[in-house]
Amino acid sequence: MKRAQIQIGETIAVLFVFFILIIIGFMFYVKVIKDNIDIEKEEMSQLRSVGISQRIMFLPEIQCSEDNIIIDNCIDILKLDYAQSIMKENEIYYYDLLEFSDVNVVQIYPGEAKWNIYSRKTEDFSSKFVTNVPVSLYDPASRKHGFGVLTIETLFK
Amino acid sequence: MEILGLAIVIVLMLVATIFVVRFLVLKSPTEYRKGFVSSELASNMLNTLLKTAAIDCSQLTITELLQDCSQARSITCDNGEESCQHTESIAKNVFTQTLDKWSMQYEFLAYTDPKSPLIKLGKTCKAEKRSKIFPIPISTATMYTKLDICG
Repeated sequence: MKRAQIQIGETIAVLFVFFILIIIGFMFYVKVIKDNIDIEKEEMSQLRSVGISQRIMFLPEIQCSEDNIIIDNCIDILKLDYAQSIMKENEIYYYDLLEFSDVNVVQIYPGEAKWNIYSRKTEDFSSKFVTNVPVSLYDPASRKHGFGVLTIETLFK
Repeated sequence: MEILGLAIVIVLMLVATIFVVRFLVLKSPTEYRKGFVSSELASNMLNTLLKTAAIDCSQLTITELLQDCSQARSITCDNGEESCQHTESIAKNVFTQTLDKWSMQYEFLAYTDPKSPLIKLGKTCKAEKRSKIFPIPISTATMYTKLDICG
């Protein structure tokens, strides 16, 4: 009777240790999976940020053109003022394109000026990326170029 | 004999753990954005700067000022600066408000002979860099502008 009790006790102890090991292994597995999901989420956010930046850089609403030929990496400062109001009036359309982001054009030379062309922010974000792109600021009146920076701040939940 | 079996099992478990930690736990996210930003930055910065018109120099572009700087040096701007000095001060102003502000190290050079540059701003990159060279035609040869962004 006593020997049988000892054997039952041994079996219970072995099972206890076995289940503890299973639980530790499962916790480790969950942690690894969670970390991998976070990494993938971060990579996806980065790709979305790059996509939004490229969409803004090639927005026809602000891009320069001469005789219907688009000039790359150039913003028309006359178009900027109109783009601001158009983007405010059609906020839902631009939200589909630009999501939660803040887009500013800052003139560096000659003089200093700033235009906010789109702003839709959220307090509840998990990642934020700021992309600065040097752009030429074209004044069609004088037909001269200035130096500016397109600052794109993207926020992701 | 049983002890040997146990030791083998433990060694195998350790190898598996090291493998999992190395390839899954210590995996860092791929920097997709960094590649995009740095590739855009050097080329856009130089391209934009060369097109910029100098307000104190009869609205001549930086390219035109650099062409004069490497040849006759006949242009004197409204503030009394020559083409080389004026180009350098505009470039310095632009880089201070952009690359310096974003804590990025860079080296900007304008030269016909790389050993004696006409304009040199910033510091030489010691390690990895993104480089962009723009050739500018002049009557005698070709001059180059080069921007290296470190990191």
